[in-house]
Amino acid sequence: MPSYARGPVLAALVLILLAVLAGGPPAAVSAPALSAPVAKVPSPEQQGTFRSARTYDTVAEPVRLRIPALDVDSKVQRLGLQRDGSIAVPARTDVAGWYENGPRPGQPGPAVILGHVDSHTGPGIFIDLYRAKAGTTVRVDRADGSVATFKITRIARVPKVRFPTDLVYAPTLDPTLRLVTCGGSFDRARGSYRDNVIAFASPA
Amino acid sequence: MRHMPIPGHGRIWRALPLLCAGLLLLLPGTAPAAHRGPSTAPAAHQEPSAAPATHRAPATPSAPDLAIQFEALLGQHSVLAADLMRSRIRGDDDFVQSANAALGKNTTAMTTLIGQLFGKPTADKFGPMWSQHIVELFAYAGALAAHDAEALDDARAELVEYEQELGDFFADASKGRLPRSAARAAVVQHVGHLTEQADAYAAKDYPTADSLYRMGYRHTYDLGLTLANALLPTGDADTLKQPLWRLRSQLGKLLAEHAALVEDLTRAAVTRSPDFAASGQMINGNTRDLAAAVDSLFGPAAARQFQALWGDHVEQLVAYATATAGGDQAKQAQAKAALAGIETRTAAFLNGATGRRMSSAELEAALQQHDLMLLKHADAYAAKDYATAHDVAYDTYQEMFDLARTMADAFGATVAARLPKGGAQTGYGGMAAVVEQR
Repeated sequence: MPSYARGPVLAALVLILLAVLAGGPPAAVSAPALSAPVAKVPSPEQQGTFRSARTYDTVAEPVRLRIPALDVDSKVQRLGLQRDGSIAVPARTDVAGWYENGPRPGQPGPAVILGHVDSHTGPGIFIDLYRAKAGTTVRVDRADGSVATFKITRIARVPKVRFPTDLVYAPTLDPTLRLVTCGGSFDRARGSYRDNVIAFASPA
Repeated sequence: MRHMPIPGHGRIWRALPLLCAGLLLLLPGTAPAAHRGPSTAPAAHQEPSAAPATHRAPATPSAPDLAIQFEALLGQHSVLAADLMRSRIRGDDDFVQSANAALGKNTTAMTTLIGQLFGKPTADKFGPMWSQHIVELFAYAGALAAHDAEALDDARAELVEYEQELGDFFADASKGRLPRSAARAAVVQHVGHLTEQADAYAAKDYPTADSLYRMGYRHTYDLGLTLANALLPTGDADTLKQPLWRLRSQLGKLLAEHAALVEDLTRAAVTRSPDFAASGQMINGNTRDLAAAVDSLFGPAAARQFQALWGDHVEQLVAYATATAGGDQAKQAQAKAALAGIETRTAAFLNGATGRRMSSAELEAALQQHDLMLLKHADAYAAKDYATAHDVAYDTYQEMFDLARTMADAFGATVAARLPKGGAQTGYGGMAAVVEQR
């Protein structure tokens, strides 16, 4: 609109607003051609036909984990809790495990997948997890054929005695993924590593 | 196509809201809600009068508390601004009240919060700038309603200017933590969602309009977190990243949206508006998202149970609104009775899911209060008491946001109690010589 025209238009708008606020009919209402679009109004019967969604589609469980940059390509087994309340671990060192009491990968919340760093004699599936860089792609195949893709955002090494349960498992609705394995020094008396290595990943 | 701004070209238009605001104050009985007496103070700072003890806001809110309230207010702004634009396009006779709600309470509450969080000078700049962008959105909707291409171009050009100014304002306030380009992009996206949903609504493409409506709500709500992260001291920003605070924010987003979308649907039912069916799909999307949240916390079986209860709740609210529109008192009573049963069952479900961390009685009272407010909203709308309808809508949104916080705390504690203890024993030492050297 040219600047010379704006003054009168502004004044007109203010007058309309004042008229409306003073109880007069708004211009938009008094001039239907300029306001309400002409549309077919459904009948009252049609208005009463609202139905809430009754079907809930769950995100399928993970069946395979792939991290091409680390040469990881493994089946995924389910994991629960052990009697002492700690998380169960995969039965085989070349297979990853998903914590089944938590979210499934790709649904809201932190999904957690574990893998061994080694066996008694050789490397485990997550032997190279510590080498993953920010941006490394992680793919999780699900039972229904769908794939959830994530990018690693950071890697942390933490003492097991100060494991950040909150940051790994605690519920938010962010659809994230955490990959967990062992690292640090090996406690030969206890037969376990003292640290955990955690990869935090977000949807790609 | 957007016009490039001409320096100084928009000044006279920018004076419009200030001029209008000044004139509004001169008119007896027409002062915006924010300037009225204490009874209409911003809802964000009110204790809900009938709210059960389960979801009272903290007496002295911390900076993170204020920050998530800021998120909620920004989300509410998106809903109010979109509703204002749609109201203008429809030519509703209540659009002035909508404007008052959007321009008054919400902006004042946000400005107050910004003052508390980031200081008075920031708030003093924010308030007028924010009001101006709302007026331009209103002008855009007016141009759409009038099929006035020239006015539409003018409004677009003004909005481009405000997008840049608002973006720069946020970037400057962050002292470099929020890049100028990112700040501008966030504001551009916000305005884009609102104008595009208005375009689609005016073209009667209601599914597209509603998809953008929800997208705009979520984006603007999350913009609050982006701004808080950039403008708050690092310690407070870190607190907002903690899981419990994320859950409070995220559940608040879904449950407050539920309130807004139910009201949109019952408004469409009462006024027999052609966007009724699309509005129904919109709330179904929200119900699915809520069920997905329940799934993440308590598993798929609980999610299905919750979805059935929540779906019943929405259906009965719509049934009540439809009966109200048709003057059918028997059906109104039937819907009310059904709602009472759903309140009891939903309270029992949540009590069980949270291991009795939430009392059934208090939950039932909270859900009853929620339903009463929604019924009152439908009644007021049907009676053309638009001021009451908009006041109730505003308070219902805040009420659900507050209830979400209580739920998030109970849900978080319930899940935390059953999380794995300690670290994972994922190594046997066969490669210790290598692993220890890393």
